[in-house]
Amino acid sequence: MKFSSFLKDKILQIALIIFGILTIEVFLVPYPYGKFIKIYIPIVILTLYSISILIEYFIKARYYSHIYYLLNELDNKYLITEVIKNANFIEGKILKDILEETDKSMLENVNQYKYSQEDYKEYIEMWIHEIKTPIATSKMIIENNKSEITKSIDEELNKIDNYIEQALYYARSNTVEKDYYIKKNNLKDIVNEVIRKNRAVLITEKVSVNTHDLEMEVNTDSKWIVFILNQIIQNSIKYMKNNNLDQINIYAKQGKENITLYIEDNGIGIKEGEINRVFEKGFTGTNGRISSKKSTGIGLYICKKLCDKLGIAIELNSTQDKGTQVILRFPNDSYIDMK
Amino acid sequence: MQKILIVEDDEKLRDELEIFLNNNGYKAESLKKFNNTIQDIIDIKPDLILLDINLPGADGQYICKEIRKISQLPIIVVTSRDNDIDELLSINYGADHYVTKPFNIQILLAKISSLLRRTTLGTNNEKIDAKEFILNISKSTIERENKEIELTKNEIKILLHLLERRNNIVSREEIMDYLWESNSFIDDNTLTVNITRLRNKLQELDLKELLETKRGQGYILK
Repeated sequence: MKFSSFLKDKILQIALIIFGILTIEVFLVPYPYGKFIKIYIPIVILTLYSISILIEYFIKARYYSHIYYLLNELDNKYLITEVIKNANFIEGKILKDILEETDKSMLENVNQYKYSQEDYKEYIEMWIHEIKTPIATSKMIIENNKSEITKSIDEELNKIDNYIEQALYYARSNTVEKDYYIKKNNLKDIVNEVIRKNRAVLITEKVSVNTHDLEMEVNTDSKWIVFILNQIIQNSIKYMKNNNLDQINIYAKQGKENITLYIEDNGIGIKEGEINRVFEKGFTGTNGRISSKKSTGIGLYICKKLCDKLGIAIELNSTQDKGTQVILRFPNDSYIDMK
Repeated sequence: MQKILIVEDDEKLRDELEIFLNNNGYKAESLKKFNNTIQDIIDIKPDLILLDINLPGADGQYICKEIRKISQLPIIVVTSRDNDIDELLSINYGADHYVTKPFNIQILLAKISSLLRRTTLGTNNEKIDAKEFILNISKSTIERENKEIELTKNEIKILLHLLERRNNIVSREEIMDYLWESNSFIDDNTLTVNITRLRNKLQELDLKELLETKRGQGYILK
């Protein structure tokens, strides 16, 4: 609170006091009081008034500057009501009252959204669980009636299953509540599961897959990490050159603070200017606009969100026409920041 | 023939599973009513059960827990609940495997056969007598008339698969699929090399003519 703006606020009071003093002086003119009185009265009035105004200024300035200080320090600024002290002047009390009221109403409002989002997520989860049975049934029917046609339907079913999976994890990545379970997992088991999942495409496309140095333990949720790796590998498959020399290499390195997992391909790569945008929601880039690729710009976005929740750092490097490398860094420590 | 009981409330899935298992050398049966599931399971005395979690009446995890109190019968949980917590709970209650829908049927089949093998033989090491030779899986060798030749991990898997499908043409894709299923992610060239080596080893036992190449179709073990 600037002193000048405070004074500006008091301009009416000051004007009235000066006006009062002037009228007193004018009234006193005809009377034969000494010069002393005539000077003494305005000086006393002005001094006392100045003192009162200064005291008020200091009290208010201290109070408000403290609030600003707290506001600066707080990560969640809306918590300010909880930390400000009770004021001993009326405007301060009113301010706190108003803040408390608005806070309460805002909290109700936010909660309403939170609940409706939770509700929606629960519905999506339920829906996804429901739809898995008909998919499983369809796959069984295909298995019992093998032909070229059912094989082709099976491929489409796999796509449907992938999209459903994406929807599930998108819903999960958006909630505040923690619904993952961190435990020790063998990196090799996880990687193998993802490769097995994609083996039909990898074999028909003649992709050579090399894995090594994966005998390590990482602390993470196995389902979530399988989803993340699956998205990454599917990207590799999607953006291959299909020249019969396609390769995917997966390996890990044990560092001091983390275990680093590398997933590398020799696909078409990503334009230099687009690399730092790949984790943005809806970003498809030049590659995604190739008609056959049909990028949704959602996969890597969800990966990044899930990684953030699990405390895994995800990076992507790429050289156009040379290939792409995705790096996942798992914290070594058994303690993982639960956000 | 070993009896597999399907405990699943989705009628169509249960029927298709039954057909599939019956086609693959098992005797499959399924429960149609779920008001007395635990007693029904005990009465049917299956060699293995496939158990759904979401069931009318008692849920799968409870059933699993109750069955374990009285029997060591192998249980594979088949469910659409795809999260670590349910998986952990089921395993803790005594399920042997946890498979999520939509499951890969070949993997399910492999899990069934390995579980049954373990419970019937009691151990994992085994010898397969293929008439002309003996495949010793635990030692990873092939034997004939006191001659013994070591096989690599991939070679033994290939031979095992050809043996399972004996007198049928097995395509290269099928062999690769089988190998990838068991985490050997070999490429086309490696497969060629493996087959050549396997053939050479068979030749050392004078069994070269057993493994034939069908050009453009695959391989056949006679």
